[in-house]
Amino acid sequence: MDTTDALADLTPVAPPKTRSRSRRRSIGVLIVLVLAILALLSQGLLHSLNYFETVNQVFAGRASVGTKVIRLEGVVKPGSIERTSSGATFTLTGSKNEAVHVAAHGSPPQLFQANIPVVVVGHFTSATSLDFDGTQIMVKHSSSYIAAHPKRVKAPNGSTR
Amino acid sequence: MMKQLSQRLLGPVTLVLLGLTFWLGLWVTPPDRVQGNLVRLLYVHPAIAWVALYVSFGTATIASALYLWRRTRSYVMDRIAHCSMEVSVVFIVLTLITGSIWGRPTWGVWWAWDARLTSTAILGVLALGYLALRRANDDPALRARRSAVFAILSAINVPIIHFSVQWWKTLHQGATVFTSSRTVLVHGSMAWTLLFSFVGFTLLFFWLLRARYRLEIKREESSSAQLDEALASRRSEGAF
Repeated sequence: MDTTDALADLTPVAPPKTRSRSRRRSIGVLIVLVLAILALLSQGLLHSLNYFETVNQVFAGRASVGTKVIRLEGVVKPGSIERTSSGATFTLTGSKNEAVHVAAHGSPPQLFQANIPVVVVGHFTSATSLDFDGTQIMVKHSSSYIAAHPKRVKAPNGSTR
Repeated sequence: MMKQLSQRLLGPVTLVLLGLTFWLGLWVTPPDRVQGNLVRLLYVHPAIAWVALYVSFGTATIASALYLWRRTRSYVMDRIAHCSMEVSVVFIVLTLITGSIWGRPTWGVWWAWDARLTSTAILGVLALGYLALRRANDDPALRARRSAVFAILSAINVPIIHFSVQWWKTLHQGATVFTSSRTVLVHGSMAWTLLFSFVGFTLLFFWLLRARYRLEIKREESSSAQLDEALASRRSEGAF
């Protein structure tokens, strides 16, 4: 009989109110977190999140780069690509026409071509040289999309439209 | 009446728009000057990423904020936040998969630890963390409040992902539609197809959200029915 009485009261019990002090503290923690992230962003402390260094940057601070392994970004100079047995050699140019000679091993990606920005993983052959020994080429294509042959797309029946 | 009609039409319109995108993207639009036929992924990947970051994660964040705000606090908001976060996980994973498929032939690598890709992967982990947090507590009010706070904190990552291609040097290309100079870098039939894909995948999100929401209601009903049943049987035990 006792058990039935105890079970009879099954109305949900309201949870105890959280104290406002703990609430204030958690709001404080939130504000500190947000400020910390904003501070990191504004101070440029996240600068190291850059994926590569441009040819311009490397020319500005050539000594600090030395022969460290870096990702180097530049535009492939037209007419400079030569396919070799182990990969390809080409000239990488910066926006002020600085030039780095790259010898890359391994087959380049299918979009690799003249006048396209690429990122090459590798290192300079010596502390002062401008010869770059690459182990991998990545193509950094642009964000604009243009039809390959505007007004010259062939339809299946052979007509151009 | 209008509401009923739009409810009815959501599924078919989504299907038609996605079908249209598929047809335009594969047959009508021209190949790209640089990317050739690989450009056709433009009609899949950006739209999926848009839904993952802004539509679904955004819905989850707004619903969470509305739950926390006392005047609009209700379990409807909590449920919407939960369901859209689940859909968001699916779309974030699809973003990473389609991006990877596009990255291999164009960049030459499946993955790069650049700011855009890494921050998107972090968003996926945060969304999974949200779902794990929901399972960690059985008290509905506490669970709703904690997960709402967590969702809003995680949403800080969304603008970081958006601006990552401007703030840092990334392998991922910059914006095509929402450029800082406000000029769209895609034209003609390619632009139209891109627009259709955005609308189509956005509607797909709402269709999935609605289905998931209905499932959640059913689940809650069945668990409370089970509880009633268990209570009734315990009571009948006590009677003897």
